[in-house]
Amino acid sequence: MTKTLEIVWIILVGLTIFAYLLGHLHYINSFFVAILLVTTFMKVQLVLNYFMELKNVTGKYRWIPSIWLGIVISLIAVAYYLPVSNTH
Amino acid sequence: MSKTIKENYPVGDFAIWIIIYVELVTFGLLFLGYAFSRRSNIEMFNHSQLMLETTSGFINTLLLVTSSYFVVKAVTTIQNMTDNRREEFNKKASKWLLLAMLFGAGFLVNKIFEFSYIFGEGINLSTNKFFMFYLLLTGFHFMHVLLGSVILFNIFQKTRVYGYTLEDHKGIISGAAYWHMVDFLWIILFPLVYIIR
Repeated sequence: MTKTLEIVWIILVGLTIFAYLLGHLHYINSFFVAILLVTTFMKVQLVLNYFMELKNVTGKYRWIPSIWLGIVISLIAVAYYLPVSNTH
Repeated sequence: MSKTIKENYPVGDFAIWIIIYVELVTFGLLFLGYAFSRRSNIEMFNHSQLMLETTSGFINTLLLVTSSYFVVKAVTTIQNMTDNRREEFNKKASKWLLLAMLFGAGFLVNKIFEFSYIFGEGINLSTNKFFMFYLLLTGFHFMHVLLGSVILFNIFQKTRVYGYTLEDHKGIISGAAYWHMVDFLWIILFPLVYIIR
């Protein structure tokens, strides 16, 4: 179990470095935005499950934050990918 | 952490989870407000975003994620304590909490430097919509880190007097849950405001 926390921390740091490099090197395009949103979802889910111990919880109290996260990330994706009308 | 039997309720005081759910709604609306407002002037948002120091946001993410890890180490230390070695386990937890607070303080100092740079450039809430959201989101989050630090300090003080026992340690778990929330909100905020363009 002790090692699990270390692995989670390493994944969080690794994905943060990945996100930073994309931003710092200006490699941001539609494809990488999707990757960033997916990795952000994964990072928060790791914090919820392992740091906040929600993986040991059954039922709605486990899923409320995950559903919130899914909705927020999905709507951010909608805001990013939905074509912008040029009528104004 | 080592429990395999599923619980009906999250660990810690249930009241902290109510607070967490309320915070999720508030920050969720702010995140979406930013994302959808960006659509009205993508060019201005992208141009303004270039003025932010991505490295500062990156360092702050590492500081919070690592601080969160130290907090969970403190919690597992208390959860794994044996009754006859209460002092030893509290002392060990206090060291993890001290590290967590130092990293939290690092976040706050780094953010103050970032804010002073932004304000030094003459930027404020009314500069444009991007900076209005940037200052609202990061300023609001900054206040949560500040409150989280106060909570961590209180927990730290209790471990210093060996206050947590195997039977009574809900306080440290509740405080930790709040700190982890502050951490994962930043995990979303960092790519959204600093990177995605």
